[in-house]
Amino acid sequence: MSVLMNLFHVLVFPGLLFCVVMGVLLSGLDRIWVARMQRRVGPPLLQPLYDFLKCCGKETIIPRHARKAAFLAAPVVGFVALVSISLFLPVAGQEAVFSGSSDLVVILYLLTLVSVCMIVGAACSGAPFAGVGLSREMVAMISYELPFVLVILAVSSVTFTVTGNVPQSFSLQAIVDFQAANGALITRLSMIPAAIAMLLVIPCEVGNHPFDVAEAETEICEGTLSEYSGAPLAIFRLTHMVKMYIMAALFCVMFLGGITTGIVLLDIAIFVLFCIVLTFITSSLPHAVCARFKVEQVFKFYWTVVAGLAVISLILVWLGL
Amino acid sequence: MNILNHFPIMSVMVLFIGAFVNALVGRKSSAARNGVTFVAITAALVMMLALIKPIMLDGEVITYWMGNWAPVEGWAFGISLEVDALSLFFALIVTVAVFASGIYSFTYMSHDDSQVNYYTLFLMLSGSVLGLVLSGDLFNIFVMVEIMTFTAVALTAFRTNYEGALEGAFKYLVVGSLGSTSLLVGIAMVYSQLHTLNLAQLSALIPQNASNPVLLAAFAFLFMGFATKAFLFPFQPLAADAHAVAPASISLMISGVLTKCGVYGIVRLVYCLYQNWDLPFVQYLVTGFGAVSMFICVTMAFNQHNFKRLLAFHSISQVGYVITVVGLGSILGISSGLYHAMNHTIFKGLLFLTAGAVQHQTGSLDLDRLGGLSKRMPRTTILFLIGAASISGLPPFNGFASKWMIYQATFQQGMSTGNPFFILVCVVALITSVLTLASFIKVSQSVFFGQLPEEYKDVKEVPVAMRVPMWILAALCVVTGVFPNLVEKFLLLPATNAVYSASAYIDHAMGADYAAAHGVFSNGILGIPASNCWQPATWLMLLFCVTCAVAIVALLGSPNDSKKLAISACDEDAEALDAKYESFFSGEEAVYSQVGGSDLFWGFKHNWRKYFSFMHDWHSGIVNDYTLYGAVAIAFVLLACVILL
Repeated sequence: MSVLMNLFHVLVFPGLLFCVVMGVLLSGLDRIWVARMQRRVGPPLLQPLYDFLKCCGKETIIPRHARKAAFLAAPVVGFVALVSISLFLPVAGQEAVFSGSSDLVVILYLLTLVSVCMIVGAACSGAPFAGVGLSREMVAMISYELPFVLVILAVSSVTFTVTGNVPQSFSLQAIVDFQAANGALITRLSMIPAAIAMLLVIPCEVGNHPFDVAEAETEICEGTLSEYSGAPLAIFRLTHMVKMYIMAALFCVMFLGGITTGIVLLDIAIFVLFCIVLTFITSSLPHAVCARFKVEQVFKFYWTVVAGLAVISLILVWLGL
Repeated sequence: MNILNHFPIMSVMVLFIGAFVNALVGRKSSAARNGVTFVAITAALVMMLALIKPIMLDGEVITYWMGNWAPVEGWAFGISLEVDALSLFFALIVTVAVFASGIYSFTYMSHDDSQVNYYTLFLMLSGSVLGLVLSGDLFNIFVMVEIMTFTAVALTAFRTNYEGALEGAFKYLVVGSLGSTSLLVGIAMVYSQLHTLNLAQLSALIPQNASNPVLLAAFAFLFMGFATKAFLFPFQPLAADAHAVAPASISLMISGVLTKCGVYGIVRLVYCLYQNWDLPFVQYLVTGFGAVSMFICVTMAFNQHNFKRLLAFHSISQVGYVITVVGLGSILGISSGLYHAMNHTIFKGLLFLTAGAVQHQTGSLDLDRLGGLSKRMPRTTILFLIGAASISGLPPFNGFASKWMIYQATFQQGMSTGNPFFILVCVVALITSVLTLASFIKVSQSVFFGQLPEEYKDVKEVPVAMRVPMWILAALCVVTGVFPNLVEKFLLLPATNAVYSASAYIDHAMGADYAAAHGVFSNGILGIPASNCWQPATWLMLLFCVTCAVAIVALLGSPNDSKKLAISACDEDAEALDAKYESFFSGEEAVYSQVGGSDLFWGFKHNWRKYFSFMHDWHSGIVNDYTLYGAVAIAFVLLACVILL
């Protein structure tokens, strides 16, 4: 029975199926909102799904310089690593599937693994545009990682300072439990800068518009993806969508956790609502408002402004606010 | 008397005897040479493995008095070998690395001249390192350090026809001597005050005289001596010079084994001899040195164009991690440090061997000239990727498990002491890890992926004999990463326990109650807190998830099977060579086109250009400068120790 339950967790909720559905939903909404803000009608809600299915039906072309096995494996491994993150997140009042080791550092590294898979895929393709794309992806990764790490430390140190719970300092479950007992973290003064920093980290981590230096279509022909076609490209697209959901969910867990009503379906509905709002703030709004940054600007922005916000949060925690 | 008691001395002897026998019989026949080497390194490994049961699991300590010169009336006059779990932990690291390096050498060195010298020196190096970690005597540690340094210098310069080989060896010799001298001065000071050099007796006597200024100065000298052997900041430039030119099997030894001797020395010094790990000054000193080395070396690696030089800087960066957490003085800190020390030997050994494989097959280590080798050397590529993922700390490899513990240790130290310094160290550790990853992406892009240059069109995969040690190390990377619980049970917990039970170490050599009589009380530890990062169940679930997704993809991809793998139409092989068809550089040769994007780290380096140009000037390559930095560092630590302790 527990095997079936685990299978359900891995494949349906909060695993594969839920991730994909949420990814498609958020991505579709994002496209509609951006279109509306640009005075366009926009595609139907399920357009990302149609795109995915159509891509799957297309021929897969493998460049001659490419290393075949790694070229095809990279999208799959990245996607799997991403979906596995959902099993570490205690979303919607549920315990995480892997509650024992649901840990912010594990999630941080699994997210890195997703980027690495994209980079390896690009490197395997052997194309110059992909080379530029991967270099940019790498710099983007270095850029958002510092503020992300600082936010994680700030969040962990709040729960630590209040509860003094030593062995579980990076545990997400502990953070959610803490929020259930003491109110969501975003309501704390000291956490507001960290929350803003996290909101700014999300678009870069996902690779959304003003920070999509690695995929800049107009400059470097989609960079990392330039040689991909067919099913592997479809999986990369799906990875992008699911990443939007995973990052929104991570934000919910870190700053809006512990909000439960006791009714499972209602909890899930609230959680989905939060994700939708977060997508609007972190994805649609910057997309419609800003033009793409240059890569060195991205780096500078994240290591000064965003990291600064997170440091302010850490200092406020230190002062006991 | 139990035969196991003789294993420590026998394992050291067998390596030294192997060296001399090799010099006698190995001149003519390569079979005799390889046979003697193989027997010696295997015997040493087997003897160390046999000691796991009594020492690691039953918690025994083996003391071996040479010529049975046991202590008289509480004074140790004889030479001793004393093996507790900490010594054995490092001895296992050493013997495994020596084994892998030796097996690899058989093929790797087969085209070189005067191989008999190579194997003689190699076995002497191995024996001296093993002797160092097993020794129960401070002066023998110095003797072993000297043998180690000189054999390592000779081996660095072994391929004298390499550009920079003699130069690298010379720098290593000069600056290494500075470290050895510092060590000798420290030992002389200790002897002048306490009239003994036995580690166990010193461990009992030194804490009693903790405020003696001469002993404090000795602490500074000994610390800097071991720091030189670990190539910590500011000694990192000579590691880079030495690694880049040494044969790959020796780079493995220098990076994986010699630096660990420095780590072992510092752990013994701080936790056993002086037992001053809980003093804030010592914590700042050790952690500070570690954190600075960790960060500076990883940024230096960004500028490198030589494969092994880049690995050399990473190796100091990883040793920086180890020293950082060793300095924390917490149980989690020391256990994560030991874990990372072990993992570093494994994955860095693997990476050096893959670098050696590339060099062996292509004759080059230049990151700017190599490329696209994954098509020609697919197995080496996989091995490299395993090593790169491990050093970057990607799950599920071993680097992740130990780095996770390192973050926990630094963060908890910062939280429980309320000291922002340790939080800063935690941030530096996390960022260093990302930079490490970025740096290895550059290597994989410029060596194994990307475009294959014309001159390497006919490169072949390395022979099986060279792949075997690489596979052994790669398998260890995975095993120690996937089963951290087993590693903890069999290796980490006993070793950490030994670190915290100095009194058992003392009593076993000097007789019962000697430690208590001198006021040393230590109880060891019961367990390592918060070390359950990866549960096998978790991992198996993840694996299941992977298989599911792969199956789905296979199903999705099946309609395409018939026409799958259509190869791009145009005949790229002919065109790729002509720069005018390169869309990206718009008709320029890549070397002449000043496109910022052609440097993989441009966005990062551009913002840090002042730092990088300062660092570039600082690493001047002049041995006088490096000696000066070393002398200044020793003077600084000496002053700080005497004034602040």
